[in-house]
Amino acid sequence: MPAPEKKRFEDVSFGEDLESGSPDVSLETVKRFTRASGMKFGRFTDHEFARKEGLPGAIVPGIMSQGLLVGMIHRWAPGSTVVKIDTVFRAPVLVDSTPQCRGVVTDLDADARQVEVDLTIVNEANETRVLGTATVRLQADNPQ
Amino acid sequence: MILDLHNHSVASDDGRAKVENYCQWISNRKLPLDGFVLTEHRQFDQASDYRALEDEYGLLVLKASEVETDYGHVLVYGVNEDLLHAFDFTSINLSLELVIKEADRCGAIAVPCHPGRPKVGMCAHYAERGPVEGVSVIETYNGGSRGDENERALELAKTHGYAGIGGSDAHIVSHIGRYGTKIDREIKDEEDLVRALRDGAFEAVTWT
Amino acid sequence: MDIASLKKEWTGFEFDTADFVVEEQEMLDFALACGEVEPRYTDATHADFQAPTTFTSKFSGRRILPKDFPRIAKRGGFDAGKCVEFHAPVRAGDTITGASRIHDIYEKTGRSGPMIFIVHRMEFRNQRRELVSIVDWRMVQQP
Repeated sequence: MPAPEKKRFEDVSFGEDLESGSPDVSLETVKRFTRASGMKFGRFTDHEFARKEGLPGAIVPGIMSQGLLVGMIHRWAPGSTVVKIDTVFRAPVLVDSTPQCRGVVTDLDADARQVEVDLTIVNEANETRVLGTATVRLQADNPQ
Repeated sequence: MILDLHNHSVASDDGRAKVENYCQWISNRKLPLDGFVLTEHRQFDQASDYRALEDEYGLLVLKASEVETDYGHVLVYGVNEDLLHAFDFTSINLSLELVIKEADRCGAIAVPCHPGRPKVGMCAHYAERGPVEGVSVIETYNGGSRGDENERALELAKTHGYAGIGGSDAHIVSHIGRYGTKIDREIKDEEDLVRALRDGAFEAVTWT
Repeated sequence: MDIASLKKEWTGFEFDTADFVVEEQEMLDFALACGEVEPRYTDATHADFQAPTTFTSKFSGRRILPKDFPRIAKRGGFDAGKCVEFHAPVRAGDTITGASRIHDIYEKTGRSGPMIFIVHRMEFRNQRRELVSIVDWRMVQQP
């Protein structure tokens, strides 16, 4: 399978939407993440434990939400480099829910060949759970 | 004129939007806004000058503050030197009565925001302690509200006869322009805005 | 609590360093759990195989706060957000050293009531002393 075409700075326009999608935040995937991250808190991997802590259910770790947003950026712009990502964890994203990751281009820096992207994760009621921005450096041109 | 009366820039601790990008967004998305107000958290951004952006984009960019009181958060329009010396904008324990009184004295206006929000909205505090004198305008449409928070704000306004404004409470560029306030006269600066809010010459609007 | 004094006394100095060995399987699991599809993150045989951009955000030092830092949280705390600056790729087998300092302290009120934000900054360097990332962690403590 050929490698996806790398996104060039010239191909991006202000206001361009990244393809939104519903990331996999199933319990199994969250457990995979917490094992990889050494996170041993039950609030991430056990719905009952989380409820005892006053949460509606197990929650997705903030750094996993951030990682999901980076994944979305890389799918939109293969070969790009996320130079910086800054996210505010406004409210929990629930494990086994169906959130949406969204992104939109809100600044273009031609000198640095970088774009800024607004990022959000919303829940099924369209309420913002995570929001932030990322600075993404894009390719100069497409090799071959 | 339609102005978005509640937004944050990178000057706020949790703001991530550059003001020029707000202007570009409004223009690019052809939002029905004539301008917006920056209501930075717990400060008044005296240093920033947005007149060049106003000229470039044909938008009005005004400055205000969002302060924290014992009845929740409050937007303060018409901040001036007198008001900056009247109380500590950085405090999270201001008295709402004091903020209203000093705003009135200094020619500004204090508008409780997101009243329906827990802890930082006025509804919960009114329920416990009763109303505060001197409130005439509250924010009834807030772009960051969840669930029925805006409905609670509207109910509070109806119960107490408060006029309502709209604001996006944007912290990132793409969130500006979710709500606005339609004002029945031309606004050129912060003083005009304060007069319009005092006169009740406005209504909260949304187009999303 | 006098936040200005707290900030003056506790910010700006390094209070902890810790070493972490970067494991290939953890890199892969982190990447795949986050929906990465690019082979440089998902294929350990790729010429440019590297840890996902925000991988270092998972590391925490031996201490989260400096020794003798006042106990603030009566009601608990939570993670309010993270900022990751990427400087250089992290490779499997690297030994990363994280140096911690308190970068900022401020207070505000929110839906959960009064909060004190402590911005914990960790600078990560690899075994060649090259800067690979800087992670700011905004931790909230509720008095």
